[in-house]
Amino acid sequence: MKLEILAPFTGRVLPIEEVADPVFAEKMVGDGLAIEPAEGVGVAPAAGKVAVFHSAGHAFAVQVTPEIGVLVHVGLNTVQMKGQGFSRLAEKDHDVKAGQEVVRFDIPAIKAAGYSVVSPVILPDLPSGYRIEKTTATSVRAGQDVLLTIVRA
Amino acid sequence: MPEISVTLTNKTGLHARPAGAFVKTAKQFQSDIKASLNGKEANAKSILSVLALGAEQGSALALKAEGTDAQQALDALSQLIHEKFGETE
Repeated sequence: MKLEILAPFTGRVLPIEEVADPVFAEKMVGDGLAIEPAEGVGVAPAAGKVAVFHSAGHAFAVQVTPEIGVLVHVGLNTVQMKGQGFSRLAEKDHDVKAGQEVVRFDIPAIKAAGYSVVSPVILPDLPSGYRIEKTTATSVRAGQDVLLTIVRA
Repeated sequence: MPEISVTLTNKTGLHARPAGAFVKTAKQFQSDIKASLNGKEANAKSILSVLALGAEQGSALALKAEGTDAQQALDALSQLIHEKFGETE
C-alpha cells in the first residue's frame, strides 16, 4: 500500500525539525515536512473529506482514509490573526479532490503582522504499522509534486 | 465512569498547540478518554479527532474516562485546561 500526499503549497521544502515552533519541530502533533509557500494558495494534499477547518482559516485537515489524515497549517502562530488575510474556499465536511484549492492567504500581510509563513504539513496520529517517506526535493508545486508517501512499515 | 465539564478560557481554544498538549497528556494514561462538545465526541488521544471538535474560547468540554487511572486522567486534563495549556494570552 502506498498513499501519496501531494504538496499543499508551491514553495521551498524544509525539514519539520527546522520549523521555529516546538509543537511542530518536536513532532508533538505528528511527523511530516514544512513548506515556505511562494504563492498564497493552499490546496488539498489528497482526496478526502475536510475533517477540520479552524474558524480562523489558517489550518485545515483532510481525512484521506479512516486511519490517515493530513494536517495543513498555514504559517506559525497565525491563529492569532483571527482570519485576517485568509479566505476559505472549502468548509468542514466538504469532499475535496487532490489539488483542489482550500484556502487563499495573503503572504505579505502575514509577514507584515510579524508571523512566519513556514507551513507544516503533518500526518497526526499515524497508526503504527505505517511509515512516512519524505520527498528529497527542495521545492515543490502545489497539487502536483508528492511531498510525503505513506507506506506499510 | 468519571465525568467532568471544563470550560476553555484560553484565547485561541483547542488549536494545534493546545491540542498537542491535550493529546500528549491524555496519552500518558491507560484509560479510554473522550472529550465531547455539543453532542460531538472525540477520542482525546487523537489529534485530528480533538481538532475536529472545533472547541473555541468559552466552549464547555465534557470529559469522561474509563479505566484504572480514569480519575487521574480527568484531573490532569482539567488542570491543563485551567492553566490555559501554558499559553500566556
